[in-house]
Amino acid sequence: MIEVSDLVVRYGDAIAVDRINFTVAPGEHVTLLGPSGCGKTTTLRSIAGLEEPSGGTIRIDGNTVYAATERRNIPAERRGVSMVFQSYAVWPHMSVADNVAYGLRVRKLPKAEIAEQVDRALGLVQMRAFASRSASLLSGGQQQRVALARAIAFSPSVLLFDEPLSNLDAKLRAEMRVELRELQRRLGVTSLYVTHDQEEALAISDRVSVMNVGRIEQVGTPQDIYNRPKTRFVADFVGSANLVEGKVRASNGPGPVTFDAAGGPSLQAWAAHPPRGDETHVAIRTAYIDFGAGANATNAKIRSRLFHGDFIQYIVDWPAGQLTIRRPPTEVLDEGAEVTLSFAAEHCVLLEG
Amino acid sequence: MGEAPLRGLCAGAIHDCVRPRGGRVTDILGARTRVRGLPSSQALVTAAILVLFAILVIYPLLFLVAESLNVGDPQTFPPQDWGAGNYADLIDDWHVLANTAFVACCATVLAVAIGFLAAWTLTRTKLPGRAWLERLMELPYYMTPLVGALAWSILAAPRTGALNQLWHATGGPGDIVNIYSPLGIAWVMALFEGTVAFVMISAAMKSMDPSLEESARVLGAGKWRVMLTVTLPLVLPGVLGATVFVFAEMLGSFAAAFVLGIPARFVVITTAIWEAVQSFPPDYPRAAALGISLSGVMFATLGCYRLVIRRGSFATITGKAFRPRTMAMGRMAWVLFAGCLAYVVAAVFLPLAALLLTSFQRFATVILSESQFTLANYETALGFGAVRQALFNSLSLGAGVATIGVPLMVVLVWIVYRSKAPGHGLLEYVAMFPQAVPRTVFGLALLWAWLNIPVPIYGTLWLLALAYFTVLLPLGVRTLAGVVLQIDRSLEECARVCGASWGYQLRTVTVPLLRPGIVAAWLLVFIASVRELGVSIFLVGPNAKVIAPSIVSAWLSSSSELSAALALIQTASVFIALVVLFRATRRYSGELG
Repeated sequence: MIEVSDLVVRYGDAIAVDRINFTVAPGEHVTLLGPSGCGKTTTLRSIAGLEEPSGGTIRIDGNTVYAATERRNIPAERRGVSMVFQSYAVWPHMSVADNVAYGLRVRKLPKAEIAEQVDRALGLVQMRAFASRSASLLSGGQQQRVALARAIAFSPSVLLFDEPLSNLDAKLRAEMRVELRELQRRLGVTSLYVTHDQEEALAISDRVSVMNVGRIEQVGTPQDIYNRPKTRFVADFVGSANLVEGKVRASNGPGPVTFDAAGGPSLQAWAAHPPRGDETHVAIRTAYIDFGAGANATNAKIRSRLFHGDFIQYIVDWPAGQLTIRRPPTEVLDEGAEVTLSFAAEHCVLLEG
Repeated sequence: MGEAPLRGLCAGAIHDCVRPRGGRVTDILGARTRVRGLPSSQALVTAAILVLFAILVIYPLLFLVAESLNVGDPQTFPPQDWGAGNYADLIDDWHVLANTAFVACCATVLAVAIGFLAAWTLTRTKLPGRAWLERLMELPYYMTPLVGALAWSILAAPRTGALNQLWHATGGPGDIVNIYSPLGIAWVMALFEGTVAFVMISAAMKSMDPSLEESARVLGAGKWRVMLTVTLPLVLPGVLGATVFVFAEMLGSFAAAFVLGIPARFVVITTAIWEAVQSFPPDYPRAAALGISLSGVMFATLGCYRLVIRRGSFATITGKAFRPRTMAMGRMAWVLFAGCLAYVVAAVFLPLAALLLTSFQRFATVILSESQFTLANYETALGFGAVRQALFNSLSLGAGVATIGVPLMVVLVWIVYRSKAPGHGLLEYVAMFPQAVPRTVFGLALLWAWLNIPVPIYGTLWLLALAYFTVLLPLGVRTLAGVVLQIDRSLEECARVCGASWGYQLRTVTVPLLRPGIVAAWLLVFIASVRELGVSIFLVGPNAKVIAPSIVSAWLSSSSELSAALALIQTASVFIALVVLFRATRRYSGELG
């Protein structure tokens, strides 16, 4: 279990992490998602003990490993966490087995147990056949597996991942995603994962925490983040969405609301929070807009069509400006065609800011 | 020294980090006093190195400063009368200052010209045997200026020099060359500093992205226009940096001015310092004032160098090596090839041949029909107790300083580039500081300081070992820094996260990865120790002889044949180390590459 409260990391005058709070429950897989420079890696490294924060507290399994007020900063090697690095950090001067055994040897386990644990860890990542191979002779994907085996070999209480898949090619990345997810479920180890790849984050996490300029914008399940983005940043960064400007009509409590889009129609929208009245945008996912009659039906004209393979992306002119729409490659419409588009009220999400 | 306490520290840290698997973290966190363990062990080592450095460098230099302000009895210390009189007296030494400036300027111009032409030829033109020639170009660095000066005095002394003898034999009147002259000194200095300029300038040329030139070509600029508007401005900071650096080295150089200047009664600052110390009674205050002034100038020059490198580094800052576009030079290629080869011949092969011939003769001559060949010089060199002792001392000092010094340098370099411990930035200046103090001045400072401290290590090998370690610190640190910076940081961080303490991480991850660098640093420190002259000449005693000063005294007692034999023995041990170095680095680069 990881508990982070009011964490601040400063480099000189620049603030990399700005008073963030979150917890990772035992056995849970949480992902910090954000663009480069948002502070997600800094947060992860602070938890690992590789970066010294400027304020706040970090607790791991109930033990305070960092507390600014107590001037307490437990060094990395005594935090009992484990980490998979972006560059894999597989030691080229050791064999695969020596790499995996490192954490066990540091803990001075008996030889027999080390051998057993190394074998188990290599088995979990299907690298048993490579145990005696020199680590400098491995491919990227194999190094990735060794790094993973090394990280889980000494049964750490917490596993940290720093963009572990970003150096793999697209196909291998998709495979490893599935394997990582399965491995994490099987071991039930508390994991904190950092990535800038929103697909990856949505696919493998129990919960996603979206970060931007040192702050957490939204925390929730992948479906939550996708279907109910709270802010313009989240709507824009995760998945693809249309942001429509306008004004919300007064309403009590969360639920259906009416949103007057600027220069155009009144939309049946949905608010996850009680509207304050000063909200300026709704977000509509590009995948949730249909051609044909339905809720929020509006006339529009197709301006351009781009064929992407897995989907077709249309840009249409509608009374409130332009909309981007993604449809299955079977729905082919010509540029210039007049169409009716519609989307459900619950997919037209009122943003908090 | 140094190593033992370090080992102790590491062992303690390893002990701390070990805990039974699955044991609650609370067990280790219970003791609140050890909570900030990470910074403390590194901070301790940092502090220890800073203190050691203060003792080794700052302390002797303070003694020297104090002595330079001594206007009372020159033999008493601490001084009874203080004043700036010794500095005012430097005006009377104006010819020494002028000589130094003249020789340094000539030698710098020549060295940079050699370096620039060779660098341009070897990086930018299509030349047969380029890789091979590049290796050869580095050889002069390993010949010492002392050996070079001896060899060139054999080659080009008036009347007796080989070149002049050959000239006389063909019936020529007078001498064609005289190496015992300011220009002769500058020539020898330039030969051995030329390779430094070459390495620095070719690094600047190699780090230039060829697409910068290509885009100028594409936009319609001709070959010469590209050269003037793109290539030259980009390379200029590198050339300027090399010039300033070489100039600073020339200011502090001793051997060539000593061997070639004394017969001509031509004195520069470093030899003036030596003469002041050798005179009777020794004029320490004058020597100190000269030394402190020279250090000041050298410090300022190296300050300029840093400034030039930092401000003009737009071409070199990426640190990325490119494969520069090479030009076909047609027939000119052979001229350039011959030029590079001529340099290597003048700096390495000709001197070695002269030494070899002389060392086997009873009386030095190039007229083979007149020569009497003998092994007597080698018999004396290896049979004479004092000389054999000097050789043995030099080799064991070299091995000892390298073996104990390099591990310390590894820790120092690691702290400078990786640690966040307080004071780690200061350590870089510490490590590079001895570079800014001329060897002769530092030797003088150590002499004076340890003469006046009631610790009886003056005149022993211990003081020489300390002195070698200090003056070779920049060399070792520079060698190791290049390798440390190549190690991906996460390789080390991963060890920490896996539970390794700092010491355990250094031992199991950093040091094995650094191995090629450590081997290179060991051998370079060994080589530099064996050939050290500037500091040694002030610190040798009857019971602490080393090879380079022995060569000098053999030469001073006007036995050029014996000194040739000694110089060759020294050069041979350096070259053996060098061969080991090349083989070792090739093997390691094969292993890890």
